[in-house]
Amino acid sequence: MANTARRAAVSIAKAKAEIENLAASGLAAELVNEGVQPYALVRGIEAPSPPWDRKLYDILFPIPVAYDMGTPLDAFYLGLPYNFSGGEHNRVSGQVVTVSNCQWKLVSWHYPDGKPFDPATDTIESHIIHCRGFFLERGALNART
Amino acid sequence: MPELNLRVSTADWDRLRKDFAPSFRGHRDTEFGAIGLLGKRMVDGRLTELIVAKILWPEPGDVIAHPHCALTFSSRYLRRAHMAMRKEGLCGLLTVHTHPISDIYVDFSGYDNRQDPLLMDNLVELWPGTWLSSLVLGARSQKGRLWVSPTRREELTTLVSVGDCLRYLPLNGRPAQRAPKPSEIFDRAKAITGSGALAHLSRRTAVVVGASGTGSLVCELLARAGSKRIITIDHDVVKGANLNRILYATKEDAQFRRPKVEVLKRGIESLGLGCEVVPVVGSILDSAVLKRLNEADFIFGCVDKDFPRMLLCQYAYQYRVPYIDVGAEIGGDDEGIVSTDARANHVAPGRWCLRCTGLINPRRLAFESLTGPERKRRIALGYSDDLMLKQPAVMDLNMRAASMGMMILRHLLQPFLLDPLPATLAENLVTYNMKPIAIARAKNEACDMCRCNPAVGFGDCAAPIGLDSEVAASLIESDETAE
Repeated sequence: MANTARRAAVSIAKAKAEIENLAASGLAAELVNEGVQPYALVRGIEAPSPPWDRKLYDILFPIPVAYDMGTPLDAFYLGLPYNFSGGEHNRVSGQVVTVSNCQWKLVSWHYPDGKPFDPATDTIESHIIHCRGFFLERGALNART
Repeated sequence: MPELNLRVSTADWDRLRKDFAPSFRGHRDTEFGAIGLLGKRMVDGRLTELIVAKILWPEPGDVIAHPHCALTFSSRYLRRAHMAMRKEGLCGLLTVHTHPISDIYVDFSGYDNRQDPLLMDNLVELWPGTWLSSLVLGARSQKGRLWVSPTRREELTTLVSVGDCLRYLPLNGRPAQRAPKPSEIFDRAKAITGSGALAHLSRRTAVVVGASGTGSLVCELLARAGSKRIITIDHDVVKGANLNRILYATKEDAQFRRPKVEVLKRGIESLGLGCEVVPVVGSILDSAVLKRLNEADFIFGCVDKDFPRMLLCQYAYQYRVPYIDVGAEIGGDDEGIVSTDARANHVAPGRWCLRCTGLINPRRLAFESLTGPERKRRIALGYSDDLMLKQPAVMDLNMRAASMGMMILRHLLQPFLLDPLPATLAENLVTYNMKPIAIARAKNEACDMCRCNPAVGFGDCAAPIGLDSEVAASLIESDETAE
């Protein structure tokens, strides 16, 4: 008989399952590792073009190894190269990392004060939706000012 | 002879005793019974404890009992329990029944001795490897045994009930033996920790996680309270900056970068109190190191990070072992000190976990469970400035927290504090205020740690707790780089 109760207390089994479900539903999402740090890599995030130089972008965000214990997600990386309104976006201001043979730059895109990622209700999918907000017109307008 | 104990939550034990109490009243002379599911705890491949993961409270028709007759469990009840045990990956069943005319002495009857092997035969035929433990209760006594095969049985030694208090009850069917008179060293402490409680403390192993400012003080207090065996776990070495707060650490220890736990062993054992200190150099994040907690009768957490606290919580529920977390905080703003708090939390079955009490901050937990390079990138972008604040390291404040933790342990062994213990016991020294915080500030009735933890009481039957050594090492390295 299958043992349904077993699960590692510290693992990212839940994250893996969420990403597999997203992939099964048609989203190009996969789990990748850089050393011992796991990341969710999501391809084909829609962006309005212009001001973005293309319609689809790849993003990457780290999964804390204690994700299954109810840790929130935050931040994401944008796949390089990119071009926004003929130049750089002022929120794409973090360091560059190489993961899965691609370069990525950390984006300053925070959850609003008073409404952080809630591990009880939020998921990797909702974090991706949060990240998508960055590309939308509202974010683009903010970036110009 | 090594002990083989049965560990149960106080709530389950109290309910068993309460539900079965009518069996010992009046003239009906009827046996009562119930079936539980068992997890286990092993040390170096040897079974040391059975853990009652769950009691399947009987439904009408599950227990067939008539006055003056031996009780039988219905095959439906037994099948339900056995199926649940297999489904959950647990190791065995516990049957509990009463002997109504037994009072301070109780023993298994001839009928029990004939029936248990037959039941065991059936269970093993259905699922090889099933264990059967049976417990018989008198009005004020209990006796237990474990069948590992239909022909081989072992006697259980002690029932450990863990919850708001900690009880040790003999499982030999006899009243508890009078504790030996303690050594005169502990004479002056008898008012707060009597001979019985002291005997329990001296026979048990305390594990202290963290051997720095607070951890070294807790070890000292345990040894001076009469503890005879302490396992102390810390991966770090003594540095010059630690000399203001680690007991027994010397300039030479810092010069030679001696492990903190080794220094503590040297210091505590030199006291001549007969306390053995077992040093473990390693991080509690590492599952191989965390496994040493299987020797713990009580755990003290003296760490300043949320990830280890979270793992210790998981351990406390999965193995039903009491965990006392102690710490100190200095709060301040640009103008000066706002608060100086010393704090102790008691985590045990039925009590709130440190996430629900608000002590563990999910953001900090997430930050601590990223690798070093990833943390640095976050910091550079200002994502985690508030998480980078260093914890205070003031020995006088640490002492308040260590003292509170030790008082809680004394209370668990021999209650003297107001019951139940608050979710957090804190002291604000700026306002001379003791704050018993009864409400878990971040409580979540669906918390998968303390309310709906699927592995509670499973012990070694659930997946191991902690990280692979490589991942743990990577996170520790990150901490040190950050320092």
